[in-house]
Amino acid sequence: MKFDSIIIGGGLTGLVAGISLQSKGKKCLIVSAGQSALHFFSGSFELCSAPGDYEDALATLPSSHPYSRMGVARTLELASGVKDFFLSSSIKLSGEDKRNHFRITPMGVLKPAWLTLDGYASVPSDRKMPWKKVLVANVGGFLDFHSDFLMAGLEKEGVECIPYIINIPELDRLRTNPTEMRSTNIARALTGNVLCELASQLSKAGAGCDAILLPAVLGLNDPENANSLKARMDIPVEFVATLPPSVPGIRTQLMLKAHFQSLGGTFLMGDTVNEGVFEGNQLKGIKTVNHADMVFQADNFILATGSFFSRGIKASSTEVFESVFGLDVDYTEERPQWYSPDVFEKQPYMEFGVRTDDKFRVSRDGNVLSNVYAAGSVLSGFNGLKDGCGAGVSILTALDVADRIANGF
Amino acid sequence: MNKEINTSENNFEQCIKCTVCTVYCPVMAVNPDYPGPKQAGPDGERYRLKDPEFFDEALKYCMNCKRCEVACPSNVKIGDIIQKARLQYSSKKPGLREFALSNTDLMGTVATAFAPVVNGTLKLGAVKSVMDVMGIDKHRTFPSYSGEKFVTWFKKHAQASQQQYSRFVTYFHGCYANYNYPKLAKDFVKLLNALGYGVHLMDKEKCCGVALISNGFKKKAMKQAESNLSQIRGAVGAGEAVLATSSTCSFTIRDEYEHILGLDNSDVRDSVMLATRFIFKLIDSGQARLVFRSDFRKRIAYHTPCHMEKLGWSIYSVSLLKMIPGVEFFMLDSQCCGIAGTYGFKKENYPYSQKIGDSLFRQISALSPDVVATDCETCKWQIEMSTGFSVENPISILADALDVEETIKANK
Amino acid sequence: MKQDKGTHYDVIVIGGGITGAGTARDCSMRGLKTLLLERFDFTAGATGRNHGLLHSGARYAVTDQESATECIKENMILRKIASHCVEETDGLFITLPEDDLAFQSTFVASCQKAGIRADVIDPKEAILLEPSVNPDLIGAVRVPDGAVDPFRLTIANVVDARMHGADILTYHEVTNLIKDGDRVVGVELVNTNDGSRCQRYADLVINAGGIWGHKIAAMAGATVNMFPAKGALLIFGHRVNNIVINRCRKPADADILVPGDTISLIGTTSSRVPYDQIDDMKVTPQEVDLLLREGQKLAPSLATTRILRAYAGVRPLVAADNDPSGRSISRGIVCLDHETRDGIPGFITITGGKLMTYRLMAEWATDLACKKLGKNVPCTTAQTCLPGSGEEPKKKASGKTFGISGLGKRAARGRHGTLSSKIENSDKFNSSLVCECEEVSVGEVNYAIKELDTYNLINLRRRTRVGMGTCQGELCACRAAGLLAKASGCAVKAEEDLAKFMNERWKGMYPVAWGETLCEAQFTSWIYEGVCGLDAFHTGKTAK
Repeated sequence: MKFDSIIIGGGLTGLVAGISLQSKGKKCLIVSAGQSALHFFSGSFELCSAPGDYEDALATLPSSHPYSRMGVARTLELASGVKDFFLSSSIKLSGEDKRNHFRITPMGVLKPAWLTLDGYASVPSDRKMPWKKVLVANVGGFLDFHSDFLMAGLEKEGVECIPYIINIPELDRLRTNPTEMRSTNIARALTGNVLCELASQLSKAGAGCDAILLPAVLGLNDPENANSLKARMDIPVEFVATLPPSVPGIRTQLMLKAHFQSLGGTFLMGDTVNEGVFEGNQLKGIKTVNHADMVFQADNFILATGSFFSRGIKASSTEVFESVFGLDVDYTEERPQWYSPDVFEKQPYMEFGVRTDDKFRVSRDGNVLSNVYAAGSVLSGFNGLKDGCGAGVSILTALDVADRIANGF
Repeated sequence: MNKEINTSENNFEQCIKCTVCTVYCPVMAVNPDYPGPKQAGPDGERYRLKDPEFFDEALKYCMNCKRCEVACPSNVKIGDIIQKARLQYSSKKPGLREFALSNTDLMGTVATAFAPVVNGTLKLGAVKSVMDVMGIDKHRTFPSYSGEKFVTWFKKHAQASQQQYSRFVTYFHGCYANYNYPKLAKDFVKLLNALGYGVHLMDKEKCCGVALISNGFKKKAMKQAESNLSQIRGAVGAGEAVLATSSTCSFTIRDEYEHILGLDNSDVRDSVMLATRFIFKLIDSGQARLVFRSDFRKRIAYHTPCHMEKLGWSIYSVSLLKMIPGVEFFMLDSQCCGIAGTYGFKKENYPYSQKIGDSLFRQISALSPDVVATDCETCKWQIEMSTGFSVENPISILADALDVEETIKANK
Repeated sequence: MKQDKGTHYDVIVIGGGITGAGTARDCSMRGLKTLLLERFDFTAGATGRNHGLLHSGARYAVTDQESATECIKENMILRKIASHCVEETDGLFITLPEDDLAFQSTFVASCQKAGIRADVIDPKEAILLEPSVNPDLIGAVRVPDGAVDPFRLTIANVVDARMHGADILTYHEVTNLIKDGDRVVGVELVNTNDGSRCQRYADLVINAGGIWGHKIAAMAGATVNMFPAKGALLIFGHRVNNIVINRCRKPADADILVPGDTISLIGTTSSRVPYDQIDDMKVTPQEVDLLLREGQKLAPSLATTRILRAYAGVRPLVAADNDPSGRSISRGIVCLDHETRDGIPGFITITGGKLMTYRLMAEWATDLACKKLGKNVPCTTAQTCLPGSGEEPKKKASGKTFGISGLGKRAARGRHGTLSSKIENSDKFNSSLVCECEEVSVGEVNYAIKELDTYNLINLRRRTRVGMGTCQGELCACRAAGLLAKASGCAVKAEEDLAKFMNERWKGMYPVAWGETLCEAQFTSWIYEGVCGLDAFHTGKTAK
């Protein structure tokens, strides 16, 4: 089976690359070994957490960082188009052009953010809290979100908080299951008539408040339920992330995938690439577990398999390796050097990833593969957590390699 | 590459508790009595290894759709873990209902002989009440039985003419095509013959055993599986691919025989496949060509059965359907229809079964296609019963759209 | 805790390990007004950092008959009085091709001499009994080993002490002993959470500080030469074996594999460590590699089993001058009457021994205390069941009694025995699981907060297994922190505690962080630091 481009990995990076290429008329295949890290999405994409305007912030990053390798100008140029890019998949994001705004985390911490999903609680770059008094509501018995933590954080910022426990009898049946009071299952129940009840409870409890903050338990498949709740209320409702699974993340994944497929892209879910067909320093095709002898051929390939969590790279007790083709990996050989004893310190292992050339092309045994690119978390040389750049690297390197492939540079 | 490290034989340890499986479990979404794939699978397995007392009979609510496995980013065989636990630990003996539902060959043989009577009585109120007592939901319509088994027809009308071909495939027709819907099997023969392939049947094909496995008859399932594997080995040894028209039969023979029953099928696994994969590969590699009637016009919506999703093979059926010039094609969202073989026949599961399929049914009704295409017979029953739209196997649609003469010529 | 100079006790017991808890129980059962002190949490020292092996004594039979005899006696007693803490698994002593099979007969004879049942069985039978055992074995002996949960056992002793009138203070460290002339009359304390100070007085102070007892003795002016011997262990992700597997040879590194609750443990190493390191034990890569290499000889499947964490404890052995490894030291009990030994009245040290003989140690110490205080009450700890170990309700039919809504109840009964009936289940929110790996419900967490001296996550972990499972706190720690915040009314404190707890979890994970464990660690960091921003609450500390 022949495609123009094959993307290995169907998470944020793979889908952005796929949509970008497919909308430029390239026939794409995405092979995804299970669902992606978008299922733990916070509601905001981050570009770089260093303080100051992006231009200055990006300049502080080390030369190994994918942004530095793309160049600050190129990075910012690509970044400027991202809002519209997501809007084409009906995903509305907001953010300031030149600098970070702040997302409110479930622990009430203000975290630098680049683009935040429409309807998710955030604070502008001047850190001025948009509300004086808020209702912090939670679903009774929902353990993956604790209003106490959020309220403590908001109160520290000078916001008066009123706690409220939502009582929806429709959830009592779900509650009989000791493990499944999860965000997604609650989201399934909060629909239709239940939304009317929810709106009336919240309106009453939130009277006199500037906003109502809710855990992100609405709108699993589309934003419709969230919008419908808001439409019934006079007070603004904003969402705050929960522990996994992430309702906004799953929705984002579904919408990106649907857009990719509507553009004619082919998506294979739950399949694993287990072999490459090489000819010299070119990859000609791939084989997968499900399709055995069927070779999926393409002119170009993008490796978007993610970091350790997504199994793009793996570690044994003696080595770190790339899991699909055994590509060259940047890592420190001595195992004790992989970690810092304090979990909150910079962990060296987070920066391990595949080695790439200046065009993000990967190499095997020191030889660059001329038509295989890597993008996103599988890349080496950056710490998405500490540099606050995980989503930015995913999106922007995906756009970068897609652009290189489509325009041949 | 893909070397796995530090994963035990008990693959549940690869689970990193990310909760993704719980999002995609169709049962969990409607029935809180089910512990959910994470709890029933990897979490529970850890406790069952400590003490089998921790086995929970509520694992019976698992439909074995494997959508949890498809979603799992860590390659945990969640569905296999659950099914194996049921077979290993359940103290509940399967009853008459389970026997009736899973012994498809026996029931099929008896029913075919009395097809007109059976078909009539299956619809009668009194019989429905008996079914109800047995615990089979009275809303269910049993698929009607054909008066003549496919195998009987084949021997009478088709076997002799197969000798004219020089290339052959072996057809694993399965119970449904044999007892209930021989048209599908006949369409298969028509299509393969047109492509220049003769069709062989196995001497003694047994039901693949999927219903035996899900209803707790492990011993019988093993016996049938072993018999099928030895027959399949014969065919593969003669250089023939073994083709099925049912995604569930293909899946069961390829994966469940090994994963659930522990039988080594590695020597023949790659040769057992769905007919659409075989045909697509022929066309894709330029070894065959399909020519279609120019007057064929249909709006087709394709439904991906759960086991097809697990196999990852809908791409083959879909690609073939899209090759038909007169087809307007719609891809339905891949989601469970709720029947899961014999699962939806059980009274206690019926309401959940319908609730699971609800969103699919609504999508179909909204699209209002001429026909729904799907590779699974039980999905066909469920969708036909629940939506009123007719459902066909892609093989039947291809056979229907085929310009037989031209295709024969093209493949000479 | 308010300072109260007026409180006077008959006995102050220092040390919240199993020895201290057992001694406090025995003292209070004999009618002594008792105070139990612990500088951090119960089981924070060697008690919480060993195999959890219910020794039959067979391991010591050849080298140390006295210990072996004590072990088998206590073994049988614990089965009776602490049934909810004990798993009667039995044990195998296997001989591998590289071992000397002749040792087996010496071993069996020694066991019999010590009164330990030791049945030589066919290697094939051993494989049937324990499928995970190395199939190359050439000999096997079956002995009455078992598993004992040291956390549960300690808490049961603490609960019983309190039921008999003892006062208990955790997070109170003894900074000095108060003396009246040569006599020890009390202790100066610092609250290790808030730094506040207070004193407590007693007729008698019993030093049950384990390896830290050396320091306490020094405060009194006595010298107890302890031998800090570090032992490292690995925890595997699930029950690999259901019978304890030992090597049938003289005790050496990594030759015991113990199934304990949901996991299996391999250990230990043995190496001398300097005194100044006993508060900060780190497991080295060399130790991890050795444990894995040797462990695979007992059960080959360990090679492909996920490792949850590595940890090390310090054995409180009393030092001898001529043994560099510490192995040949007797595990024997040392009960020192400092009045006769050093001329320091009012002070007793109970040390040496081991988890298995804690009750006997407590008995000796309490006998001495009673003698000194002029009390003539016999010890009844060997006959009296610990709380939780009463009559079991009738065993239920498989899978039936609990059903889906009872998830966690069954596990809770395993953890708390009959006391699990105190867990509140009536509320519709209470049956939800906080910890899915170890099946700990909201009700159980609240029970621990209310009744089991639980102020933070690490206390909770030791009382309930929250955070001890496969994910090492990835989902449950935050859920539990929320419940602790509710109970304490201080969200920020709970968030700081959560950060400390995650650091404590990481400490045991990073020595074995490859494969799934590294995936889990990265995922956990994404959630806590990325999504939640927990790093804002990081104080640089690790939970104790």
